[in-house]
Amino acid sequence: MKRVKQRATATLVIALALVLGLGLYVARYMAHGADWAMFAANAALYDNARLTVGTLIDRNGTVLAGFDDDGNRRFAESESVRRATLHVTGDKLGNIGTGALKAFDARLAGYNAVTGAYSRVGRGATVALTIDAELSAVALKALDGRRGAVLVMNYETGELLCAVSSPTFDPENPPTITDGDTRYDGAYLNRGLSSTFTPGSVFKLITSAAAIENIPDIRTRTFTCTGSQTVGGERITCPEKHGELTFKDALAVSCNVAFAELSLELGADTLARYADRAGLLERLSLDGILSAAGRFDEAEADSAELAWSGIGQANDLASPLAMLRYVSAIANGGEAAEPHLLLKTGLSSVLPREKTRLLNEKTASELAELMANNVTAHYGADNFAGLELHAKTGTAEVGVGKPPHAWFVGFIRNEGHPLAFAVIVENGGSGRLAAGGVANSVLKAAIDN
Amino acid sequence: MSEISDVLNALNLASYITLVIRYLLPLLAVIIVARCAMSLLRGEYEGEEWGALVLPAGVRVTLAHWENVVGRAKSCDVSLQYPTLSRTHAALIRDARGDWRVYDLKSRGGVSVNGKYAERDGMELKSGDKINFGGVDAVFIASEREDESRIAETRTKPGKLISPTLTLILVTQFQVLLAVALSLAASEFAVAAPLALASVSVAMWFCYALTRAMRRTAFEVETVAFFLSSIGMAVAASSRPDMLDRQLMFLAMGVGLYFAVGWFLRDLNRAKKLRWGVALAGLGLLAVNIVFGGVLFGAKNWLEIGGVSFQPSEFVKIAFAFAGAATLDRLFARRNLIMFVGYAGACLIALALMSDFGTALVFFVAYLVIAFLRSGDFATVLLSVAGAGFAGFLAIQVKTHVASRFASWGHAWEYANTSGGYQQTRTMAAAATGGLFGVGAGNGWLKHIFAADTDMAFGMMCEELGLIVALSAVAAIIVLAVFAARSATIGRSAFYVIGACATIAMLMTQTALNALGSMDILPFTGVTFPFVSRGGSSLVACWGMLAFVKACDTRQNASFTVGLPKRGKRRESEEVDE
Ligand SMILES: [Zn+2]
Repeated sequence: MKRVKQRATATLVIALALVLGLGLYVARYMAHGADWAMFAANAALYDNARLTVGTLIDRNGTVLAGFDDDGNRRFAESESVRRATLHVTGDKLGNIGTGALKAFDARLAGYNAVTGAYSRVGRGATVALTIDAELSAVALKALDGRRGAVLVMNYETGELLCAVSSPTFDPENPPTITDGDTRYDGAYLNRGLSSTFTPGSVFKLITSAAAIENIPDIRTRTFTCTGSQTVGGERITCPEKHGELTFKDALAVSCNVAFAELSLELGADTLARYADRAGLLERLSLDGILSAAGRFDEAEADSAELAWSGIGQANDLASPLAMLRYVSAIANGGEAAEPHLLLKTGLSSVLPREKTRLLNEKTASELAELMANNVTAHYGADNFAGLELHAKTGTAEVGVGKPPHAWFVGFIRNEGHPLAFAVIVENGGSGRLAAGGVANSVLKAAIDN
Repeated sequence: MSEISDVLNALNLASYITLVIRYLLPLLAVIIVARCAMSLLRGEYEGEEWGALVLPAGVRVTLAHWENVVGRAKSCDVSLQYPTLSRTHAALIRDARGDWRVYDLKSRGGVSVNGKYAERDGMELKSGDKINFGGVDAVFIASEREDESRIAETRTKPGKLISPTLTLILVTQFQVLLAVALSLAASEFAVAAPLALASVSVAMWFCYALTRAMRRTAFEVETVAFFLSSIGMAVAASSRPDMLDRQLMFLAMGVGLYFAVGWFLRDLNRAKKLRWGVALAGLGLLAVNIVFGGVLFGAKNWLEIGGVSFQPSEFVKIAFAFAGAATLDRLFARRNLIMFVGYAGACLIALALMSDFGTALVFFVAYLVIAFLRSGDFATVLLSVAGAGFAGFLAIQVKTHVASRFASWGHAWEYANTSGGYQQTRTMAAAATGGLFGVGAGNGWLKHIFAADTDMAFGMMCEELGLIVALSAVAAIIVLAVFAARSATIGRSAFYVIGACATIAMLMTQTALNALGSMDILPFTGVTFPFVSRGGSSLVACWGMLAFVKACDTRQNASFTVGLPKRGKRRESEEVDE
């Protein structure tokens, strides 16, 4: 019996294996439970792969996506808000992949490892976004039907107040979009995040950072613009003859000839390094929603390509979100508060924000001064009264016969409104006139609020 | 108008009640399992004394079991360091009637009693007989009836540390809460579910009263089974409220089988005599299944009799435990061992023919456990060879017949919408939805997926009752296993120890395959969760198997399957009974 009873203990090996197996299950559940629950076949949360739970509100409590009395999905009450927040919110069919309804599905389901996706009445949880619905409506109105994007962010906290993309539609009455319908060209794209554009002269903010840190006599140097300059057998042109210029003047009037000279001097690898450090080339994460990565090709030394690439032309590409993050860093002493979309409440709202240093402090402050000078010296401070605006325009050439993309990026120094912005109007023409006008309306509305 | 608002208010109230019950059920489940565990595991396991050997130097060695091995080896119950002794020399075995025999285990020096050498089938022993083990003299003394009663009175009876009545009251509360939650979940459960759970409760208290009437104080094993059966009833109510009456009938049959097998095991002589009959009947069932079984769900493992489909392989598990168990004298007989290996092989081949890989795996694990418990010096070789042969055989089966079912193992999400991972991915999604506390009994959706209430019962528990209750259910099975292993230390006969270990190994393997298979950690083989999965055969067979666990409970006055000593002098061939 002694041996039998000793060996009976071996039965516990199976018990141990069972315990270990369940331990593995519990570990997997803790690690992947959210993914498991957010499976489109989960009938508790989805109907035909459409999320049926969760309420989405803006920073002021305005419902962006909720329910009617019968439990059907309903969007914001005001049509203009619905159109302006479509790309942030998402649509019923899930065509807008970067929409919060899709990106934050686990939060909307109220999923956590303790209570799973259970909610007492089966409506999931309420998720608050940093978005300001009213401001978004103002931005969409300012775009006035033109294609483009308007991004506004608090550069101290990283809260994204406005991410409007046009063309848009009313999610309550979604149109049937056929191929080649120009009215809805790229309507499912959130242009602020998911599109990249030729940056044009807004890229001069990156070239300037490189020049400030790498060319010792940059502040005393003068440039001579005769309206054009031949580089590598190709003519680099300016809209007009700028004459004798300091570096400060060259940025204000956005002199291509001066910046071509700087680009050649800095070289492709230095420019590429600064574009990379500025965050233009990476996919940024907006609370898990990934933006499109920009592009900077290193051209041969002394080539026209190299000159153009430092002026934001050639093959350069940038997403509006990356430009927004860069000017936010300039506003914020070189550190970018990482942009986010989920409103932090309670304890998490007082925790330190995630910040990334894109520029050293001195460079950032010099760039900020230059951007202030741009407005006072060239764009006309009166046009942006009461904003204390720091900005840079961009008029990006996108091919023969097509009007250029109009960019306007920058920030304001306003007590209580530390706002940065990036506006692009596709084929809008002059950056200052088209995009600047949009920025002006939106920023004024934000301050008056 | 007021009617509508009344309904709305009622709905709101119901949702709050469900909200609270969700937290109470896991709490009760943990307490119930913990109480059963404490009662089974923390109690005293005092040995018994059935006789003694007085050695030449006057040393007295107690015989604490019905089956004792004498020899030179450390693993012998009576280990004597004399060079003339064989490593395992002789076996001293008491039967259920109290008659002792001594068996010569092919020793070099031989065994003689009062000068007569022992024969092949042993020699009768009387108290005071002189035994010679290969030159070592000893006097055998059998415990008298008075000694047995005296010892019985000094041993601790279970139930003192943890009151079984209070545990049952907690299980009843668990059942009441389940009934309330189910009746609030949907109108189709409103009457059927509370009735069914009330019936489980009545059955539980009736069994308790019955064992109390038999002066037995231990009820932990049954409590665990009724606790699991209550969860099973909630699973059945949620998925098939129309079939609850049938499920109750199966439960009644299961409890009936439990007492029947327990009664059968109570007399070791009877159990020994009939075990091959039971084993052959089991094999016969499998044969009938192969010949007449219809192809259902890809596996030929169902028979339909009078409109009720049943699964013979479930009942063969009981037969398998009978075939594998043996008293100590038989363990040393080569013939017995070869017959068991042959029997196990026949069962596995039959299951392979039915493509029932999950059940085959359950049998295989039981085979390994039995083999390990039985294996002596020569046997180790034979059994490991046979074991390797079965493993190879199963491997080939996997390759040819069921390979497609295993292609998705570990990659269920890549096969989410094909048959390979359809059920597992949905089980995981539903289980994650349930979190730790579940979405409430009857509120799940997994039940609409094919075989959710049987093969994915663990997932249904996770979804509706939460991870804590589901883990408590697994813990309950593990508690039984630890108990079986522990009570082996005071086991009377190897027959009971092997039977209990084999059955608990099968129950645990089923649990593992059900829980981990549906969660893509093990291959998904369609095995039931003991006592919880809906369906007749599995439930009835699990209760039958439970009797083996109960039969190894030799704590004083613990088990109805163990006789109590009678007062007064023993008469010839009198049964030890109440
Ligand atoms: Zn110029």
